[in-house]
Amino acid sequence: MISYGLKQRLSSIAVYIILGLMAFISIFPFLWMVVGATNSTSDIINGKMSFGSALLLNATTFFTQVNVPLIFWNSAKITIIATVLTLLISSLAGYGFEIFASRFRERLYTLMLLTLMIPFAALMIPLFMLMGKFGLINTHIAVVLPTIASAFIIFYFRQSTKAFPHELRDAARVDGLKEWQIFLLIYMPVMRSTYAAAFIIVFMTIWNSYLWPLVVLQSNDTKTITLVISSLGSAYYPDYGAVMIGTVLATIPTLFVFFAMQRQFVEGMLGSVK
Amino acid sequence: MSDVTLRDVRKSFGAVEVIKGVDLDIKSGEFVVFVGPSGCGKSTLLRMIAGLETITSGDLAIGGDRMNEVDPSQRGIAMVFQSYALYPHMTVRENMGFALRFAGMPKEEIRKQVDEAARILELEPLMDRKPKALSGGQRQRVAIGRAIVRHPKVFLFDEPLSNLDAELRVHMRIEIAKLHRDLGATIVYVTHDQVEAMTLADKIVVLRSGIVEQVGAPLELYDNPANLFVAGFIGSPKMNFLKGVVEGGGTGRADVRLPDFGGAVVPVALKGDAPAAGTPVTLGIRPSQFAESGDAALPVTVDMLEHLGAETLIYARSAASDLVTIASQSRPNVEIGDTLTARFPSSAALLFGADGKRIY
Repeated sequence: MISYGLKQRLSSIAVYIILGLMAFISIFPFLWMVVGATNSTSDIINGKMSFGSALLLNATTFFTQVNVPLIFWNSAKITIIATVLTLLISSLAGYGFEIFASRFRERLYTLMLLTLMIPFAALMIPLFMLMGKFGLINTHIAVVLPTIASAFIIFYFRQSTKAFPHELRDAARVDGLKEWQIFLLIYMPVMRSTYAAAFIIVFMTIWNSYLWPLVVLQSNDTKTITLVISSLGSAYYPDYGAVMIGTVLATIPTLFVFFAMQRQFVEGMLGSVK
Repeated sequence: MSDVTLRDVRKSFGAVEVIKGVDLDIKSGEFVVFVGPSGCGKSTLLRMIAGLETITSGDLAIGGDRMNEVDPSQRGIAMVFQSYALYPHMTVRENMGFALRFAGMPKEEIRKQVDEAARILELEPLMDRKPKALSGGQRQRVAIGRAIVRHPKVFLFDEPLSNLDAELRVHMRIEIAKLHRDLGATIVYVTHDQVEAMTLADKIVVLRSGIVEQVGAPLELYDNPANLFVAGFIGSPKMNFLKGVVEGGGTGRADVRLPDFGGAVVPVALKGDAPAAGTPVTLGIRPSQFAESGDAALPVTVDMLEHLGAETLIYARSAASDLVTIASQSRPNVEIGDTLTARFPSSAALLFGADGKRIY
């Protein structure tokens, strides 16, 4: 007969083993990336999992082959502009869908949600032709424009707005605020956790986006970091060490954003209004 | 001048009319309470006065000026909400001064106004806290402070005490009454709690299904309800309603027989003529009006007792199972199952017709 205390201890050991395994699975790619950045291409191919001595060589190769400031500037510019616009436009839409009742509201909302079912591959060619018509191919605007009205983020904001107390809006109206002022001065600060969570999601999605930038950005001076890393990896003799250096560098901004906003991210995912 | 006038005010949501023609005069400095059950339209009516709901038809005037299309911030009103509606990202001071800052008042003047309101409401030690660091009662005081600093013509309170516990509710009720006395402001207050209405109001407006059932001073409504609804709604425990039939009478009196109480006959005093013999009526008698002696007598059996200390509530039934509540100020020597004769002076009884209207 196993005692209750022993049973408790065994079950907590089992939980820790499972959690440890999950944590290892999550962290392993990062670890492999960092270790890989210090090893030569042949060591990486042979699966060496210990730190090597090729860090400086890999970094030199990467910085020689790639105009790092330019591609970082391109990625940062696209990501920041697209993230800010996406949050602004999508939160406005989500707020509007929840706050303002109209006869067509739910039909329009359902129609918008249905667009989530259309795979991006199906939209790519019409979008490309559209951008071509506007003369935007090979410009960063072409990368930004299709992202700023995101059905998923609108959905996320509408759901979060359900927790926004309507009486705050009433109080603000009595205090003399116009609708746009209520949105800017009351809704946005009150919903900052929702914005933080959405910021992380959108920032990471756009920073890591590959397919659409690959289609519309054709010259080297407009390319983003993901495109450049990918082109390094698909060379005839790929230098995986340099690729790993690029990957490590590309990960830093998203890690920074995530850690800086971690608390608000969790709050935002749980519901932002307390 | 801060009087409020409503003339045939109506509100519809689509095809559903929720406010069905309200006429009301609220005098300057008056404390008016809208009371009624959930869904009666009292909050909607208040929100229409505030400008948070549009008025479908009719006229609203504040201080003599028509306000139907005027922006809420320009109506000279301030509103205190049930959930306080404090801006969570601002401190108490910022919350209280927000409307003034927004109206472009100089910083020094805002500070003066906010400090004065904080002094009245004893909020000084809390001025730099955010709402989440305040208790329910403190939040409500801040919400009231936010209203005070605006020096409105009319204060609007939308069930402001509903979220507070019983003890705090009594305390805040006294605070609001004191505030009204000190400021002398016109207050329109919404509640579903008739005790709040009775204790605070100069004038009570009883609403049901978007219609004003009766308007009057608290005791006027208590003593002279215009219909069964008001009689049942005002007063706690509620008035007893006994089914009866007019047996006879004349000018100034109706003899009402109560078939469910062994055919007891109660002579009810009237101002006018008695209804025709055989007319079905309802006799109303308040639980507190039962007494040791009285010319009307009802044979009942005690069903349940509630000892409240200051009074004892006796829930009794007639032979036909009609329920009667008796409030006794003494501590009666009765037990559950005892048979007793409940007595009351017939002069205290009220008479209502089959349509629910009072027969005077």
